[in-house]
Amino acid sequence: MSYLNNPAIVMDNGTGLTKLGFAGNDSPSWIFPTAIATAQSSNAKSSANAPQGLGNAKAGVSNPATSNPYFGNSTSATSFASNSNAFLLSNNLAGKRGTEDLDFYIGNEALVASQGPAYSLSYPIRHGQVENWDHMERFWENSIFKYLRAEPEDHFFLLTEPPLNPPENREQVAEIFFESFNCAGLYIAVQAVLALAASWTSAQVTDRSLTGTVIDSGDGVTHVIPVAEGYVVGSAIKNIPIAGRDITLFIQSLLRERGEADSSLKTAERIKQEYCYVCPDIVKEFNKFDRQPEKFAQFIIENQDKTTKKVIDIGYERFLAPEIFFNPEIASSDFLTPLPTVVDQTIQACPIDVRKGLYNNIVLSGGSTMFKDFSRRLQRDVKSIVSNRIAQNEALTGTKSTGVDVQVISHRKQRNAVWFGGSLLAQTAEFKGYCHTKKDYEEHGPEIVRNFSLFNMV
Amino acid sequence: MLHLKSHNLLIQKTLSEAIEANSNGTPLTLDRIVSDFDYTIFHISNQEGNKTILLLSIKTKAWVSIQKIDANNGLLPYLQSKYQPFAGISVSQSAEPGYDFTLVLDLASLTNESVVESSLLKTAILSFPFQLAFQESFELSKLPAPEDGSSIDSQKLYNIQNRDDEQFFIKASNDRVTVIFETIFQDETDKILGKVFLQEFVDARKRNRSIQSAPQVLVSNEPPLELQSFTSSRNPQNDASRRFITFVLFPRHFQTAELQHMSISQLTLFRNYFHYHIKCSKAYMHSRMRYRVDSFVKVLNRAKLDEDKDGLENDNQSTRRTITGRKMVY
Repeated sequence: MSYLNNPAIVMDNGTGLTKLGFAGNDSPSWIFPTAIATAQSSNAKSSANAPQGLGNAKAGVSNPATSNPYFGNSTSATSFASNSNAFLLSNNLAGKRGTEDLDFYIGNEALVASQGPAYSLSYPIRHGQVENWDHMERFWENSIFKYLRAEPEDHFFLLTEPPLNPPENREQVAEIFFESFNCAGLYIAVQAVLALAASWTSAQVTDRSLTGTVIDSGDGVTHVIPVAEGYVVGSAIKNIPIAGRDITLFIQSLLRERGEADSSLKTAERIKQEYCYVCPDIVKEFNKFDRQPEKFAQFIIENQDKTTKKVIDIGYERFLAPEIFFNPEIASSDFLTPLPTVVDQTIQACPIDVRKGLYNNIVLSGGSTMFKDFSRRLQRDVKSIVSNRIAQNEALTGTKSTGVDVQVISHRKQRNAVWFGGSLLAQTAEFKGYCHTKKDYEEHGPEIVRNFSLFNMV
Repeated sequence: MLHLKSHNLLIQKTLSEAIEANSNGTPLTLDRIVSDFDYTIFHISNQEGNKTILLLSIKTKAWVSIQKIDANNGLLPYLQSKYQPFAGISVSQSAEPGYDFTLVLDLASLTNESVVESSLLKTAILSFPFQLAFQESFELSKLPAPEDGSSIDSQKLYNIQNRDDEQFFIKASNDRVTVIFETIFQDETDKILGKVFLQEFVDARKRNRSIQSAPQVLVSNEPPLELQSFTSSRNPQNDASRRFITFVLFPRHFQTAELQHMSISQLTLFRNYFHYHIKCSKAYMHSRMRYRVDSFVKVLNRAKLDEDKDGLENDNQSTRRTITGRKMVY
């Protein structure tokens, strides 16, 4: 039974990015887009002479790190080469008799390959749920063998799923992992619960409870998910259609309006990641910018051989862009509820006995919560909503409230909080006891994965 | 098509990142575990108190048996001489506790070449018995060949235990080197697919003229004659699915150092590659099964009777359905 010594593999397949790594590490080993480039049926024959861009990938051994598509963990799922994906033919393999099923690339390599004519790009996960199982199965196969270099028979796996994932999807995952890959053991955890577990590393957290509100903001959508003692309160989950991509687009539109030298999506995204922050008050911040012109930053793009330079001025978007979480009306006209109000509504929709715990432990997760002072602003706004309500209540009933403590927790592993929480849980000695093993699966069938025992770690 | 690389991509990536961070003046703090096939674990960490020096340690199942092969304890000197020529790599005299072997990497002087070479560490360790066998074969080939055309076999049989109940053997002769893999399948489906694949390994060479220069492959249930001297401690209950795969390498496969490296890295990945492709075939079959189920569901949907009474507005004509069973709305 020497596989017991092998580290468990933690895989977090998100809509945009996939995080892969080994339990016990402090960061994912690989972060790449959840994308797969498959050979196109129409010109499957020509796929033997691979696209030009791929020469890079194959010669990767001798290339410097920067130009190698394997390297560099992505922070964005967007494929900036938008000329790809023009046509998505039906990619089913059933009619093929050759080795077309082996002809595909995943992750960054897929983005490179899809720029050629022979491959088409697709994202097998939509809105957090697996849409195309054929593609997903091959995506997993390649990520385990090629990128992680692990024999699945020797490793335990921890996978993640979005809240409210149908149990049928879990069964599909179990079928693939146990029957195709013969993995030693499997645990499927809900992303929000893992994000809560990741917050235990923060100094603000004193008790390691699995009760709290998770704000998970990725590229496409922001979820507010209440978790009570390890169980997601499904009826209270709320989604906000504002997330990383909207912020990027908002910055891009501001750049365009001003007529900057470069207003590509890529530039907007760099500006978002490097310069944006959350301010306590917009009006004051506008005044501050007007009084101190040094707050205006400049962003310089050089082309590859550093011959030409483009200078882009960055102005109010530094604080305006993240502001769309708190004042959505500045960017969109169809969704107008600010994030703090949504958080409050979510918690109010939960059973009354867990609400205090939910207010007390609001946890951030995902790349779009990384702005400086995001947690402070959120805490202040939620607090003011709550204390207003308490004051109103006290005035109406005349009794004194014991008060509600609002705390927003921010920590250093926030960007990959889900993965990190998985890594924390999977390295514990008890983890393997919580997994379903191959033997259990053969005994009970796929429905065994409908239930997993919770980590009750104190 | 989906070749597994002989070097470990993740080590290469981690080291490249570390070098880049170091050259920017902000060396990374690293303490990472990286795995590889066959119970191999790497550990990349900073040397204590000095972030510009990295330690790359390996623990692998095969280490114990490889160390036993050479009575003169030649493994460490071999690895030392292998890594000597590369800039920035030196061999630590004592391995990190819990690991078998440790390389010390100096980030300031590592080149791309030495990064690749250190990500080949596992292959380097496994290549030791191969190199001994190649050496032996060269020496045997210098002896006068026997009159009757038979070959001179070496007395030594190298046995490398690379997994719990799987192992491989290397035996040198004057005109060839024989590599025998003993393999076993845990899963019932794998057993059958494995059998088909193995048969294909044997047959492909006969059918396809363009791969005549590839090493000959033999598959058997019984231990080949080369293993007669070897008394195994294997578990007889598993014997039914036990297979012996023999690769016969001729001098043209190991004449130059480059060829040797190619042969070794492909042979050491053989088992992983084999299992990988069994898994790929399963995935392919699953995708065909899903497709078939979908098309049956479509047929069933078309046969569905209309139970609800909402056909009032178009009672003149029968309700028309799309192929998925949805109603056409006018």
